[in-house]
Amino acid sequence: MNGNSSTAGKPIRCKAAICRKAGDRLVIEEVIVAPPSRHELRIKIICTALCQSDVIFSKLVDPPAIYPRILGHEAIGVVESIGEDVTGVKPGDTVIPTFMSDCGDCADCHSEKSNLCSTLPFNITPYMPREDKTRFTDLNGNPLYHLFYISSFSEYTVVDKNYFVKIDPSFPPDRACLLSCGVATGVGAAWRTAEVEPGTTVAVFGLGTIGLAAAEGARLCGAKRIIGVDVNPDKFEMGKKFGLTDFVNPKTCGDKSVSEVILEMTNGGADYCFECVGMASLVEEAFACCRHGWGKTVVLGVDKPGTPLKFSSTDVLRGHKILTGALYGGLKAKRDVPILCKRYLDKELQLDEFVTHSVKFEEINKAFDLLEEGKSLRCVIWMDK
Amino acid sequence: MSSHQKPSTAGKPIRCKAAVCRVAGAPLVMEEVTVAPPQAHEARIRIVCTSLCQSDVTFWKLKDFPGITPRILGHEAIGIVESVGAEVTELTEGDTVIPVFLSDCGECSDCLSKKSNLCSKLPFKVSPWMPRDGTSRFTDLDGNTIHHFLSVSSFSEYTVVDIAHLTKIDLDGDVQMNRACLLSCGVSTGVGAAWRTADVEEGTTVVIFGLGSIGLAVAEGARIRGAARIIGIDMKPEKFDVGKKFGITEFVNPADCGDKPLSQVINEMTKGGADYCFECVGLPSLMEEAYACCRKGWGKTIVLGVARPMSEMKLECFKVLHFGKILTGSLFGGLKPKSDIPMLLKRYMDRDLELDKFVTHELDFEEINTAFDLLVEGKSLRCVMWMDR
Repeated sequence: MNGNSSTAGKPIRCKAAICRKAGDRLVIEEVIVAPPSRHELRIKIICTALCQSDVIFSKLVDPPAIYPRILGHEAIGVVESIGEDVTGVKPGDTVIPTFMSDCGDCADCHSEKSNLCSTLPFNITPYMPREDKTRFTDLNGNPLYHLFYISSFSEYTVVDKNYFVKIDPSFPPDRACLLSCGVATGVGAAWRTAEVEPGTTVAVFGLGTIGLAAAEGARLCGAKRIIGVDVNPDKFEMGKKFGLTDFVNPKTCGDKSVSEVILEMTNGGADYCFECVGMASLVEEAFACCRHGWGKTVVLGVDKPGTPLKFSSTDVLRGHKILTGALYGGLKAKRDVPILCKRYLDKELQLDEFVTHSVKFEEINKAFDLLEEGKSLRCVIWMDK
Repeated sequence: MSSHQKPSTAGKPIRCKAAVCRVAGAPLVMEEVTVAPPQAHEARIRIVCTSLCQSDVTFWKLKDFPGITPRILGHEAIGIVESVGAEVTELTEGDTVIPVFLSDCGECSDCLSKKSNLCSKLPFKVSPWMPRDGTSRFTDLDGNTIHHFLSVSSFSEYTVVDIAHLTKIDLDGDVQMNRACLLSCGVSTGVGAAWRTADVEEGTTVVIFGLGSIGLAVAEGARIRGAARIIGIDMKPEKFDVGKKFGITEFVNPADCGDKPLSQVINEMTKGGADYCFECVGLPSLMEEAYACCRKGWGKTIVLGVARPMSEMKLECFKVLHFGKILTGSLFGGLKPKSDIPMLLKRYMDRDLELDKFVTHELDFEEINTAFDLLVEGKSLRCVMWMDR
């Protein structure tokens, strides 16, 4: 075990924002963060951003919800210490944690086609990935649960060695953290999962950060038309920056369904449809207005486990369309985050426009308010320096 | 018994025999019918061989629309052009042609795209009429309209087909009509699904639900591509022996799975799921099982079976996102008839693709109802009928 000689190997007492009960606002408390075990690293968070999934897990009553929990999974930090069997990274390195394992060694990690590492498959658990234990306790010694193996709403956190990517320390942290979930997911979905081709037509359902990032990804891929679908008309203006050329508000479609409107607008359907809300009925709409012959529908939003999607068997047979879904936009973190960083530095990929607000850690609940009121895309939460 | 009509039939109606479905589900009636001359963009074809496909049986039984009577069924066939209508330059009298239920106009954006075989100029639908003008070329002896089927209607000595639905082929001496006709639907669909829709790679694991002609054609296609494991699923245990000839390496009978869902058995056998799953029956519940046992990350589920109209398949939204599997379906195996049928024919002539093993029975046209019985009873794969042996 090695690291900063004053804290390495010892528990760290620091501040964390805890969600103690479903629907409660987060409370900032002192917590104890255990040193990293074998295969782990402890990270001092620089800044973290709020994602819709954090909001969902702050309110969810049924499993996989669990309380008290430290939320947050989009972040950037500096390695404070590393456990045994951790190579390729050292204390002082800047890293972003990722919720998807990238072991580099299994059949999936070796395959071009899959980003679903089979060594440590993605699962929504309250624990570290290799053992059912947490690294956080509150001052009464009670365990505090992890979220997506990251738990970045804390001054320090512990992550597994398969779950990070190194970042150049000179790269702006409040841009890098966006690549640990939302923006990377959307851009990846267009770039890696759908492989959007130049000159094509794309429809994006839901213009939150993921949807706008999918639009941005489609724009980078050279899509000619990017149709945004959202019940908030303000999203059109916001979306134009990311390449939106057309807009459909489901509330103003009259008698027609959204898919009917899009089928008409596109003369038969979009080449690619991205569902970025997490509603089964919207996935069905997206599939319905995706063009026969070669259309692809990509599901990025997460609906409650168990919610059914229904498709006409005839449509599936006769449409020759593809339906798929992609966690983290199909990206392999270690391969793709550096590419996205470079594209930002080359002024191709836009990241600045996603950061609409900035708050200090103490004001973290304000970030929740802004997102729930639909006023923000990404609100970056800065830890104290 | 006549072998060729005299050239003087061009431009005139032809009176000939057809097997007409007059009552849904009842034996077809062999009758004299009148076949009008071909209109613009059409050709009249003298059918030489036709074979029975499950889709004929499905629509034969259907009482409600898109079932309709009286109708001339049949869509898997081979014939000779008797005459052509106006504006037809690609075919001429005497050409050997294979009719296909799927259009290939060669001009629309789908036909021009490598990725799609769904012609948008004459989109696929189960229509009772000719595709361009919505009328029929058949009448019975009382002058009543007899409906078409899938733009082909091959259970007739003569039929009229749109040229977008006709593929010209060159048969050299070795290739026989009673094998080439299989490329008109079933075998092409299965092989195409393996090669084009799924793009089966060497060394992979394939699971096929339903070992009728389509399922076995998928196996054949996967075998030629070098799939390492081809697992066949069927309720009839005798299908395993039959399937071995087509490359099936392992067999699962859902009736033997006990308490375990079929997908669990397959997930266990394959340690996490197959690279490709093909549904070749037409049952939404089976489509769902197929999706459940295709591998996360890169697994593809391909729907080929024709389900009842209005039937739905259900997936879990959460799982679609989390497992990254692909779901798709295809008609005619994703193949473009005019370019791919000649390609398959060549593979058959090169002794790569085997067709003989699909033909379990050969009958005369008059025995067509026996062909229906055999298929319905599960005793045949392809029963080829000769119009005129």
